[in-house]
Amino acid sequence: MSAARRRAAPPPGSGARGGNGPAAGGPAADAPPFPQAAGPPFLQMGGLRAGYGPARVLHGIDLAVREGEMVAVLGPNGAGKTTLLRALSGMVRGRGSARLRGTEILGRAPEEIARLGVAHVPEGRGTFAPLTVEENLRIGAHLLPRSHVAGQLRRVLSRFPVLQAHLSQPAGSLSGGEQQMLAVGRALMSRPRLLLLDEPSRGLAPLTTRRLFDVLRAVNLHEGVTMIVVEQNAQLALEFAGRALVMESGRLVLAGEAGRLRPGRRVTSAYLGPRR
Amino acid sequence: MNIAEQTGRRRLAVGREAGDRRRVWPWPRVTLAALAAVACAAPFLLTPYRVFQLTMILVYGIALLGLNLVVGQSGQISLGHGAFLAVGAYTSAVATGPLGLPYPVVLPLSALLSFGLGLALGLPALRLRGAYLAVVTLAIAVVVPPVIKRFGAVTGGSMGLSASVPSAPPWSGLADDQWLYLLVLAVAAAALAAARNLLASRSGRALAAIRENPAAAEVLGVRIAAHRTLVFAWSAMYAGVAGTLYAWVVGFVSPDSFTVTLSIVLLAAAVVGGPDSPAGPLLGAVFLTFVPAAAQGAGDAAPGLVAGLVIVIVVCAAPAGLAGLLRMAAGAVARRLGRE
Repeated sequence: MSAARRRAAPPPGSGARGGNGPAAGGPAADAPPFPQAAGPPFLQMGGLRAGYGPARVLHGIDLAVREGEMVAVLGPNGAGKTTLLRALSGMVRGRGSARLRGTEILGRAPEEIARLGVAHVPEGRGTFAPLTVEENLRIGAHLLPRSHVAGQLRRVLSRFPVLQAHLSQPAGSLSGGEQQMLAVGRALMSRPRLLLLDEPSRGLAPLTTRRLFDVLRAVNLHEGVTMIVVEQNAQLALEFAGRALVMESGRLVLAGEAGRLRPGRRVTSAYLGPRR
Repeated sequence: MNIAEQTGRRRLAVGREAGDRRRVWPWPRVTLAALAAVACAAPFLLTPYRVFQLTMILVYGIALLGLNLVVGQSGQISLGHGAFLAVGAYTSAVATGPLGLPYPVVLPLSALLSFGLGLALGLPALRLRGAYLAVVTLAIAVVVPPVIKRFGAVTGGSMGLSASVPSAPPWSGLADDQWLYLLVLAVAAAALAAARNLLASRSGRALAAIRENPAAAEVLGVRIAAHRTLVFAWSAMYAGVAGTLYAWVVGFVSPDSFTVTLSIVLLAAAVVGGPDSPAGPLLGAVFLTFVPAAAQGAGDAAPGLVAGLVIVIVVCAAPAGLAGLLRMAAGAVARRLGRE
């Protein structure tokens, strides 16, 4: 309803994509909002739809993500942010198309998508509570050749020194912040090329959240890992991400460079509702 | 957000939760060495009947060790391990009897056979989710005794088949029952070591991950069906080996030894012993060997009744099984001694 109207009239300079709905055949019809490298984009979604049984949640997402980008996805509850990540990691069946370096990932099993270099830090972390921190991390390296596991473990622990002290403790005994670090660390153990993060800040103290985002930024910059971060904390997301998307009712309603979106009121109104 | 997250730290009561692997007992090596010494000395100190009972405990222990891989590690239910026992037992009886193979060859043969059978069954059953494995294995457990009876030419039908019992080599100076006990003990030790190895490996961790959170494991690249199928095949192999040893110890196999009840009692013993503990199979096997026999005195229906009652009590009072109780006791002792 209002989402459609908003899409029809993007504010100048915001870079919102004027996609023509789920039926859009070729995402190439849209002009990319900002310059892109030549060749196929790292991740290209076209008319991506998904849902749970009869309930449709995503109504056609067209989006291109460049390699090494950090994209924040904002929006109110129920906008389909989590479903977007789930569709990309194969946890929910998606329709339309989503190509990672030209390879179609929709319709593949989650473990196959993981093999293509996609790691998903799910909502609620999903750490394996009775297993130790080290075991959790080693499971993250399930796809790595055995000879690379030790080195990768050292690398991840150097990013999250707090985990080092708790290596032999069951993951369930960690604090919320530490568990989130563990979940992210576990995902990084697989050396992903694309990291999907679902509300990493949920339930964390502001300081812990900031520390976590500092690590994410470092990984993004130094290792060139592309990230899509679903975040409720719009302020934080806009500060760290290069680009932000706003979703509403299963559609992208706004997209733009984070720096440009920050002063605008549009993000906050879409995210917090019209009262603000 | 749960309480653990609000308060930051929580300390689980030891043994309450399956999969808790914290060390509670401060002297594991000493205890293990003492147990091994007792196990090796036992046949020379006990009467032949007691030695026979101990041997049976070890045989069931091996089967339960395998069943625990499915129940405790994979988090699935098999109602058909009695059938794999039957496969192992009949392989041994037929191979050493009519075929005249020497018995050292029979053990790997029946291991291979039951592994293959487990793989063949697990492949379709484990691709489907939910209770399919339980249903398929139950069907196998039901089908096996009639099939054995049907092919009487090979299996001896409902009359059963006597199996040749390995006799002690003259150089050892041991009685047959002592020799057999030590043989079974060696196999049990090897089986335990192999199971521990499996669980400490990448595949063991993957299994634990699948059990705790299949969705999270899958997005990390773990192939759920493949791991579950493989561990089911391993588990079937353990049961097959136990079946072969059973034939050696008892010296006689018949379809009535491997009914559905055996499969169900095995599962019950695994749960009572503690499905996710190294001590669980042994405790479960002790339960399996003594409780039904002791209850038999009270009447024909008593074994089932008592076993059922014990299961209900254990599941309600000690979800981690007898091994869990042992862990809690060990934790209490260690705390009192101030060593934890």
